[in-house]
This record gives sequence, C-alpha cells and structure tokens, in this order.
Amino acid sequence: MDIQYTGEHLLPGQIGRLSIIIAFVFALTACVAYFISATRDELSAASWKRVGRMAFFAHGAAILGIVASLFYIIFNHYFEYQYAWQHSSRALPTKYILSCFWEGQEGSFLLWSFWHVVLGVVLIFRSGKWEAPVLAVIAITQAFLGSMLLGIYVGDYKIGSNPFLLLRQTMDAPIFAQGNYLQFIEDGNGLNPLLQNYWMTIHPPTLFLGFAATIVPFAFVIASLWKKDYTGWVGQTLSWSIFASMVLGVGILMGGAWAYESLTFGGFWAWDPVENASLVPWLILLAGLHGLLIYKHTGRALRLTYGLFILTFLFILYSTFLTRSGILGDTSVHSFTDLGMSGQLLFFMLFFVLLSMAFLVKDWKKIPSIHEEEKLASREFWLFIGALILTLSALQITFTTSIPVWNKFLVLFRKIPGLSDFIQKDLAPPVDVAGHYNGIQVWIAIIIALLSAMVQFLRYKNSDTTKFFKALIIPAVIAVVLTVVIVIALEIYPPQYVLLLFASLFSIAANFNYLLVVLKGKLNVGGASVAHVGFGLILVGALIPNYTQRVISINNEVDFGNSFDEKNKRENILLRKGKPVLMHDYMVTYKADSVSGADNFYVVQYARINKETGDVREEFTLYPNAQINPKMGLIANPDTRHYFTKDIYTHVTSVPDKKASEEAEANFERDTVTIGDTFYLAKAYAVLESLVPNPQHENYQPDANDIAVGASIKLYTLDGKIFESTPIYLIRDRTASTIEDEVKELSVTLRVERILPEKEQIVIGYKQKDLDNDFIIMKAIVFPYINILWLGSLMMAFGMLISLVKRYRDNLRIFRS
Amino acid sequence: MKKTHIAALILIVISIGVIISMTSDFSSWETFATAQEAEGKEFHIVGELARKEDILYEPEKDPNYFAFYMTDKSGEERKVVFQGAKPQDFERSEEIVLTGKMEGEEFHASKILMKCPSKYINDELEVKAVAAEN
Repeated sequence: MDIQYTGEHLLPGQIGRLSIIIAFVFALTACVAYFISATRDELSAASWKRVGRMAFFAHGAAILGIVASLFYIIFNHYFEYQYAWQHSSRALPTKYILSCFWEGQEGSFLLWSFWHVVLGVVLIFRSGKWEAPVLAVIAITQAFLGSMLLGIYVGDYKIGSNPFLLLRQTMDAPIFAQGNYLQFIEDGNGLNPLLQNYWMTIHPPTLFLGFAATIVPFAFVIASLWKKDYTGWVGQTLSWSIFASMVLGVGILMGGAWAYESLTFGGFWAWDPVENASLVPWLILLAGLHGLLIYKHTGRALRLTYGLFILTFLFILYSTFLTRSGILGDTSVHSFTDLGMSGQLLFFMLFFVLLSMAFLVKDWKKIPSIHEEEKLASREFWLFIGALILTLSALQITFTTSIPVWNKFLVLFRKIPGLSDFIQKDLAPPVDVAGHYNGIQVWIAIIIALLSAMVQFLRYKNSDTTKFFKALIIPAVIAVVLTVVIVIALEIYPPQYVLLLFASLFSIAANFNYLLVVLKGKLNVGGASVAHVGFGLILVGALIPNYTQRVISINNEVDFGNSFDEKNKRENILLRKGKPVLMHDYMVTYKADSVSGADNFYVVQYARINKETGDVREEFTLYPNAQINPKMGLIANPDTRHYFTKDIYTHVTSVPDKKASEEAEANFERDTVTIGDTFYLAKAYAVLESLVPNPQHENYQPDANDIAVGASIKLYTLDGKIFESTPIYLIRDRTASTIEDEVKELSVTLRVERILPEKEQIVIGYKQKDLDNDFIIMKAIVFPYINILWLGSLMMAFGMLISLVKRYRDNLRIFRS
Repeated sequence: MKKTHIAALILIVISIGVIISMTSDFSSWETFATAQEAEGKEFHIVGELARKEDILYEPEKDPNYFAFYMTDKSGEERKVVFQGAKPQDFERSEEIVLTGKMEGEEFHASKILMKCPSKYINDELEVKAVAAEN
C-alpha cells in the first residue's frame, strides 16, 4: 500500500533534481560543441562556438537553479530533505545558513561548480580567440563536477550523491511508515559547531574561487598546446594566474585565521592534511607564475611553465580526492565525510592526468625552447631555481600528506611473495607532525626568502654583478641589525630560526628598497615588491608567534609533587567560581556563567598585578564559551584579548558535567525527626524548632479550606551564621502536596515529605547542591606578534592585486592595438 | 648540459635524498605489545575505550591527569595516561587514536584523537516524543 505523505515540500527538490540533470547534459553539450569549434576551420567554428556558448549559458542557469533550490530548502528548514536535516537546524542564526550550504560535500562541489560558471562566463566575453578550446576544458570539468551530484545508479555503482534526496529515501526508520512523519521531525541535525564562525562563511567561497581559478591557466596551457600557439596565451594567462594565486592565497590564509581563532588546530597552521591539500597547489601555482614571467621576458622555461600549470590543476584534483574520498580517515579529523565516491574522484583525477600528459607528450618536441645558455647573473636563472624549489617544497609536503595513499599501495606490494615480510605494518604520520614539516620547510623558506630578496635586483638576460651586490648592502645591514635585536629580545636561538628571521627581514628590506629606490616609489608597477614584502612578513609572523607562544595557565601555587616526569606540561588550570588564582602575571577569577542559546559563556576576569606591590595594573574580562553539544560534546570557543603586540587566549577545556550533578541533586536525602531534633547537612546542622499552623511562604497562596503546616527549621553554620527556613506541608482538596524552601546561601532545599501524627514525627527531605562542583578547567595561551602575520597576508594580497591591475591594463592595451 | 639542467638535477637529487631520509620520521601503527618492545619510543595505537574499567579524571585534584583503559586492536587492555584535561564526551568515543609511548606498564599519550559516531554524521533520527496519534 502506498503511504500518503503529508506536509512535504516536493517542488524545490524536483526543480533541483531536474536542474542537476540539465546542468550535466548541457555541460557535455557545451564541451562537445566547443571541442568541434576548436578543431574546425573559421566558418563552421563560429557556428559551433555559438552552440557551445548557448549550452554553457544553459548549464550556468541550471547550476544557479540547483544553488537556489538547495538554498531555499535549507533556509526554510525543510527537514524532509536529508541535506537540510543533516546540515542545519532551526536554532541556527541566519548568518550561518550559508555555512550549512557548503558543510556537505555536495554543497561544496556546487560552490566550486558555481565559480567555474562565473569564470567561464567572463572567459566567453574576454578570451577572444581562445574561447573555444578554453571553454571546452572548463565544460568537461563541469561535467565531471556535475556528475558528483547526479546520484544515479548504473548497475550497482552509484554515481554522485544527490543533495535533494528526501530523508525517508535515505534512511530506513519505522517513523516513515506514518504519512505524517514530518510532524515528528522537529529539528535538523544542525551545523557542526566548529563551523559556526564568521570565517566559515567567507573562507570556503574564497578558497573555492581560488580552486576554481586554477583551471584557467590550465585550460590556457591545454589550449596553447592544442592550437600550437605558443605566444598568444601568455598575456591573459599571466593575469589569470596572478588572480588565482591571490584568491587561493587569501583563501588559505583565511582558513588559517579561522583555525587560529577557533584554536581547533592549535594555532593558525598545523600541517593538517586538509590544510596541506590547498597549500600544495598554491605553491606550484606560484612556481608556474614565475615560470611564465621567465618565458614572457626571455622565451625560456616554456616547458617548465606548461608542466607547472598542469601540475597545479592536477594537485587541485588530488587534494579533492584526498579530502573527499575518506582516505585521510585516521590522519585528519577535518576532512569531509566519505560519500563512497572515491572511485569517481579517482577517475576524475586520472582523466585529467592522461589528458594533459597526452597533450604535453604529443607536442613536447615542438614546444619552443632556447638552446643557448642563460647567464648566471640573470634574473631568469634564479627565477628558475626559485620555481624549482617551490615545487620541490610542494612535493615534500605531498609525500608526507599522502601516507594513507602509500598504505594502499603497500597493501598491493604485500601480496607479492617475498616482499610481505618487509612491509608488515602500515605507515603512520610522524609523531611530531609540525616538527617533521618544519624540519625541512624552514630551510626551503630560507632559500625562497633569500631569492625573493635578491632576484629583483638582477636583470633579465645579464646584469652587472657589482651593481647587484652594491644594491643589496643596505638591506642586508638593516636585516642583520633587526635580526640581532629580535633574537636577543625574544630569545630565539635555534640557528635555522635565526637564519629564517634574517632571510625574511632581508627580503622585506630588499623589496622595500627596490620599491623606493629602483621603482622610485611608483606603487602601480611595484606589485611584486609589495607582495614579496608581504611574503617576508608572513614568514616573520609565522616564526615569531610559533616560536614564542607560551601557555600561561600554569598553576604555580599548588605543588602537585613529582608524579610525572619533567615533561609534564600542566597546561590546564582549575578555577573555582569566585576564587582568584594567580596565573603568570595575572590574577584570574572565574566569576560567573551564563547561557545564551546553545552556548555557555564563562565570565573570566583577568587582573594584571604587580607581584611586588600587589597593585592592579590592568583589568579585563574574557568570555570564552563552550557549546555543550548533545551530539559532539564540548566545543570550546576561545575568547581572546587582542593587543597590538600579542593575543591572550582563554579556552575552556573541560567543565563539570552539570547534567550528572543535577541528577545527583535530584535525589533528596531524608531524616525522620521530632520537634527539637537535629539533623546534619553538608554545611550546617539544622534543628526542627516547631510546627506552625497557617504558615507563610512566597510560593504559597493560602486558601480557606487548606490544611497547612509549616516546619520551622533553624540552620546553624560552622562559622556561626544562623538561617531560617519554613517548608510547608499542605492538604488541599484531599490531596497532599509540599512547598519546598530553598536557603540560597547554603545551596540547600528543604521540604516536608510526610507527617506522622501518631509518632509526632515528620519526614524532612533535603537536597544540597555541591558548591564545589562549579568550576571550569581552562587553558590560556599568549601568542606574541601575531599581527605581523595578518599584516603580511594583507600586503601579499594587495601586492598581487596591484600586479593584477597592471597586467590587466597591459592586456587591454595589446587588445586594442 | 645547461646550467639550469645541472641545477635542476642537483636539486632533484638532493630533494629525493631529503624526502627519503625524512621517511625515518614516519611512525607506524602499533599495538601495546609491539610498542612495549620499543619502550620509550613514540607510536600510534588505535583502540577502543575499555568501558568496564574506570575513567579517572579528578580535576579538583589535578586538572592535568587523565587516565583510562583502552583495548587495542589485538585485544590487549592497558592503562593510558594523558597529561591534560579529559575531552568532554570521551565516554562516547567509538574509536581512539593515541600517539605516545609505553612507560612500564602504562601508555603515556601525548595526543588523543577521538572518533565519535556523531562527529560529522548522525544517522540516528531524533523524533519528537509524542504519544502515538489516536
């Protein structure tokens, strides 16, 4: 029998599902049409191009349709849809609704697709003769991305995951046997509290725009190889690769800002596989960008540039595979949930590997190159070295990030007889992950920083070395002085960090010098210098806070004894409500807690005191919050005191389980007493003084027919205070009830449970709140000079923007002439 | 050979060398027994919380001492000590990934990674508690 379901909103889902199919079909159509157009001669090429265009616009409209339907469903809390149910809830503030959209894999694929559409439309109008081959590449990518949303079965194999499935289609629960099941599904699963952060509304769109933008240089490379036009693509690709570097870089740094603020990664960069997955393509993209500069100015390094832009895009696909296939499993808690699409993702990646290899290998010999040697004192030689080092840095990061992938291969090797003895255990990530990456990447950063300081002073083709070295003297002296000052002031002694500090400061000083002296302060041509200054600042801003960060929540007052080895960190401190604790320079007091929505806020007051005189120099209050999420446990959100030179974090790591203690409290203890008897409470002893008729109590409104008795009780505390309490026993309309009385000062509630007239006794019930149970465990960390990092990030982005504008104008000039 | 080729070759050889030597940093997945063989060396161990044993965390005494028992993949149960706060909802963890080393009979964890069944997906449908409609 069919069940008639009521209350469902099926229309948006139908529109969405239909749009998915339309988008997929038109992506394929656009690809085919553009492909034909790119291979035909002038005349028929133009008409096929029109077909391609129309198909791409239709595809774009369909993508917008999917986005709109999905958004509509989430926004209106239509929990009959699995996606809305799983990723959102009613209580969620509107500003986070967008985050629900891209919390799931489907939504983030959609976001990526959406940006491809935007970029595709721009390219249709701006790329001139490159439209057909470039859009063919974008359209085929869109078909792949579109297939991730199809959710159809071919035989037993499921292709894609459809975001418009209904809850009752995805889940087998008895409730769905009822037609009106929706009435019982009150709320969705909700958004992961970690993602309820404003950075999470802007970081994913930016990062995905960066991801999407890497396709443009890639598509131009394919187009250039395809059409065997080795020069015409350079101008546009330069602009686009600067754009992609800027957006992807900003996206990555925004992720760092989120990680820093929510402290979920323990700082702004933790070398987590998910972070690495977007860093690697960015590094290769930067290498490609510099390769393209060599080619543009000297005609060299074309093969390298082609290879790097291809590699950038392939690594975007590889990181998509890593973060979405579930393969990272035990090594990262931050990857997407596995949707069983690993086969499809692998196919997506392999298709483009083979496609680009085919193009590259087929015409390898035809790619122009210069056989004559470059000079050692030329800009191109050192740019080449820099590009190579960036790439090798990326490969090292990939190698370690890919440990779970290597394990899959090891499984295969183990099947080979003879080898099985050697490879018994699966590889695991390094125990000290940050140490592992820093161990090599710090040296790479030193080289890159030194190169970025010096290379601008070299000219393309050949330069005067005396002039070159002379120009570097002043920046080098400045850098040495600053390094010495900082090293002494902040006690940074490990040699590689001292070197890195010097190299970064040298880069900052040299690029600043270049901007002022060589470019005479003309900012519009100084994009590279500004970006390099920014890069230097990022390195300094990463080094100093990372090296000098200190956990200050160490309680020095209490001696725990040597129960542990000296490595014992004791980074958490216990604060009882109202009891100040000395922590580093601060007297810290947990004042109060309050609840707002799902968040518990803890009011923590800091007073910086002069240890000798005890004077308070400065006072501030922080409100770290913790969401005690029924599904995920405690999600702590730190609160930070920002200073110009440092940040002080406060972060609740544990709170007593209020629910358990409340349950314990719910149990009244009881004593049977006669008048004059004493019974004992945790903080006082109590005497039943008398039983009073017609008692009075704020919670009791007397009625004429009531039979009411009050038990007059006196409570004596150990420090000599006396409190009174009169709980009431009441018979109204032949029903007995009791009116409790709470003595707030002692956190005790008293009640009369029964009256035993024949024995002249009453049963007194009392429950006592455990005052000691009101505490928080917290951790506080100081991050000095983190603002240098943010300043550097802004400057790098700004520098790239200047370059972008300049290159764009250059292109226009060429376009018009 | 051109300078760029030589430079590229040298850099690639160096980096292959570095990458291979860096594999010595790679850890491996062990059990308590195999970790015991190399006492004091840090490893990764996957296991499950031994629920019948007590979980010890008394923040009032020491907010930085947290101890529990874990059963590793081979079924061996050991006491695990962590110098830090107890992760909230630890009891609900489905799988635990520990980083740390054996010290005597105890495993000293430097990092605990919990996998909760509900971390990202919760397939239990929560239904409003309403008596069946008449």
